Amino acid sequence: MEINPLSIILVKSDSKGDRLLFRYPHVAKHTRDSNQCTRRKNPYSLTITEDLLQSSTFPISNINNGNLTGVTDEVLSTLFAVKPELCEQKFELKVNDVRFVGHPTLVPSHGMKEVNSMLFNIVFALQAQASHSIVKCYYDLSRRLGIALRHEEKRCGFLTEEIKIMVSTHDEVATRSEGESDCDESPYELILQRSSLSRDLKSVFSSLTTSGIINIMINKWIQVRFCLPQKVHQSHKKGFVINPEIIDKCLNSLRPYHGILLLIEPLDLLDSLPIDSSPALKRLIQMYSPLKSLQTLAADSDLTLTQVFQLTGHLIYWAKATIIYPLCESNVYVVSPDAIITSQLLEVFSEEFPGLCLLQVLNDFSLPTSISQQLNPLSQSQQQTQLVKIIIWLLKNHLLLQLHTYVQYMPTVHGRVSLDAKDELNHNINEITENNSACNLNDVTKSTSADLNEELSMTLHKENGIYNYQSEDYDIPSDDRKLLDRLCRLGYFNGGHHLEEIMYLENIRRSQLLQILDKFRDVLITCKCEDPAIALFYSQFGS
Amino acid sequence: MTSVAENTKDKGQEDPIQCIFFSEFHPIVGPMITCQVPDNFISKDIFDTVSVYIIPKAKLQRSTITVTLKDYKILGFPVKIDNKKYARNAFYFNLCFVCEAKARTVHYEPVVKKMSDFLMALEVENCFLSASEDKTRLAEMLQQVMQDLNLHKMCTLTDIKDVKHNILIEGTMTSHLKVIKLAPEPKPVLDHQVPIFLEGREVFQMDQWDLTTQQVLPYIDGFNHVARIAAEADVENNLVKNCVQNLIYYGVVTLIPIFQYSNVYAATSKLKELTENTKLQERCIAYASKFPRQPAYLRDIFRMYASMTHGNSMRDLCQRLNPQNLRINERRLVQFGLIEGLIRRYPIYLPGSPYNEEIKNNPVYKYFTGTYSLDEICCSTGQSAAQIEDIVERDPNVVMLWK
Repeated sequence: MEINPLSIILVKSDSKGDRLLFRYPHVAKHTRDSNQCTRRKNPYSLTITEDLLQSSTFPISNINNGNLTGVTDEVLSTLFAVKPELCEQKFELKVNDVRFVGHPTLVPSHGMKEVNSMLFNIVFALQAQASHSIVKCYYDLSRRLGIALRHEEKRCGFLTEEIKIMVSTHDEVATRSEGESDCDESPYELILQRSSLSRDLKSVFSSLTTSGIINIMINKWIQVRFCLPQKVHQSHKKGFVINPEIIDKCLNSLRPYHGILLLIEPLDLLDSLPIDSSPALKRLIQMYSPLKSLQTLAADSDLTLTQVFQLTGHLIYWAKATIIYPLCESNVYVVSPDAIITSQLLEVFSEEFPGLCLLQVLNDFSLPTSISQQLNPLSQSQQQTQLVKIIIWLLKNHLLLQLHTYVQYMPTVHGRVSLDAKDELNHNINEITENNSACNLNDVTKSTSADLNEELSMTLHKENGIYNYQSEDYDIPSDDRKLLDRLCRLGYFNGGHHLEEIMYLENIRRSQLLQILDKFRDVLITCKCEDPAIALFYSQFGS
Repeated sequence: MTSVAENTKDKGQEDPIQCIFFSEFHPIVGPMITCQVPDNFISKDIFDTVSVYIIPKAKLQRSTITVTLKDYKILGFPVKIDNKKYARNAFYFNLCFVCEAKARTVHYEPVVKKMSDFLMALEVENCFLSASEDKTRLAEMLQQVMQDLNLHKMCTLTDIKDVKHNILIEGTMTSHLKVIKLAPEPKPVLDHQVPIFLEGREVFQMDQWDLTTQQVLPYIDGFNHVARIAAEADVENNLVKNCVQNLIYYGVVTLIPIFQYSNVYAATSKLKELTENTKLQERCIAYASKFPRQPAYLRDIFRMYASMTHGNSMRDLCQRLNPQNLRINERRLVQFGLIEGLIRRYPIYLPGSPYNEEIKNNPVYKYFTGTYSLDEICCSTGQSAAQIEDIVERDPNVVMLWK
């Protein structure tokens, strides 16, 4: 998998030259060289020893069984001990199919009188296919580790001590193997036993490959926490990667009427927080409920809305929460298109809700169903809470998707005709009046902002006869027309706002809105789809 | 359907080569740039900081090495030629392409490698690189490569007689360079999927394809599914699949589900684009109208698409809206919507049920695991959708999921 690192490497460079201090995982001995020479494309072909022009036409790979191979420690150390000009910035190097990422960090040497500075570089080897955003995350991790190590070096010379241990172990093994050739113990094994930094690096590597969340204390003093979103968010779906860019996109489209759904129990989350975590976050989690919108949450936990937005972003990034529209009776849900039902899920579900079958429950949502439709008028409140629990469980597992109603205003049979398109369509005399009215509407949208012009535009519409089409059948009160006109002008009926959003922004009731939709159904076309902000977390729509 | 969008996005993103330079290991001075177009694009200071990656240790010869700096990305393929005649018994050189730091350069890798091999051949044959200090011919060559690759994505290199210096280069060597955009590997094609042309069929020259493709192409009409194409074209099923997969890779066709009046489609959030994008509107009207002379109205088309929601089958829609009267060809309407991603198909999955003895006799049951869609089951068992729905109806252990 391209998200996992192939290897983590520590290189230093100082007045004594550059040296590869530690790498994990370490393969015993490189067998690539001997392999490469003898490997032939087919067993009957001649081995041509000196074929300058056509040597190794097949792509060279430095990855073998998920391990970095074919590059010796010396080569790596010269590559990663960069020139001072390249320090303190992103280091990215691709050799064949391996990509190396790191942040070369300079530290003033500890305890020395000379102004000699030392350079160290924690490099991650990744597969070359790793995307820009993955590379960026690894770079960030390397930078963070660098900052922490520099701090510890300044505080108590931790890095110098560790480097001393590693170098002496390397030398020890090198001299020993000269004397007794049968001893092929890797120096890295010994370093792991002796140096705490090497154990930290090993734990970084293993958390990256397992959970994607790193939480280590370097030198039992400074904490480094890091989250690899691509890994953390992967748990629920195979082959679908959530990049930080997707999360950013989601956070940008976050609105006060959205709510959050914690993916783990609030109490567990509170326990897992570090001691120095923000008290605002704790308050927010204490006040959390999937029925509350962010605005309500902000009011309840006595925080500003921007603060709540930031905390939400944080929770989403760390895969502790996801965005939903707060649960309410009118919410319409349908089975998510990327739902994968595994037998494991079935078991967990029946454990959680004894006597219920996940398949049957999902079958109820095969067609878009609102919570109020699911509820039997005779059912007791107990059943209601059970249903809410089930829906929350299904949403957590990404099995359900909420649908919203979007409204599109189409005054003419040709849609919302723009000004330049007008001339092309003028050939049809019948449509001229309609076109004019549409254009006027656009003009009005641009030029007027105050309610003062409302009446004016109303008369304009009347003159052009745009709303006259229905007056033959029955009369539509002018209040409704006024409302329609206002909503159109504010751009709510361009297909980008769902009913709940219009209700929230304009402070009108659902019934009012539905009335308008019904009365003007000839020009207002409704369409049910998912909220793009929330759908970002579903693989079907992610890309 | 998303892959189509990705493909087009990839095509739009061009990462031109900003500079090509030729560097060598000078026996006295060390690594240096000897020829560069445009001149002085990479300054000496920058080159010195990265020279270790451009003329690397012996172990890394003949590896593609890309180093990303703040502003540039340098892609090279270091080469070493061993020969006693050189000052250090070997001649090291590296031909490098420079792009923007954010550019993707993977597709240039084979080109750099091939061109390095070409230069190497010239050097081995007649010391083209090492013989003289004058690099005007090389500069011309690099200039040509950069121009042609950026403009046409391909370039043909031929060495010519260098009349000015009276050095005869036997003009027999030619190298063709081509930048091939790397598209993601297309997913395996399944029996029940329907290939459909993304552009007019007339655009393609029949003779540029292989024989199998030539035999398959006439049957790709946007309605025949893969298994049917195989039967009608009399080509083995797997060959058709490979062939369609190949066509998908080149962006010639895309896959859509079988059209059936019992199908349920759902509008996506992309449908909004149809109201804003006039180009898309024109194309949609032209594609979905029944008669070219009397095009359908956009509002009717939009209403058709918008009414496609979960639970409304195509049959219901046709009965309610009567597309015939609206001058809409509903089959082509659906095709257009699927290709453009305005709508998506709602496949039906049949999750499994506990087996019992009686059930095992019916071969259909082995597909009731929740991983097969109704189309797939129909295609592999040869039963109609109605028959299978009937079986599901009678058995309370099997449920249908629309998703």
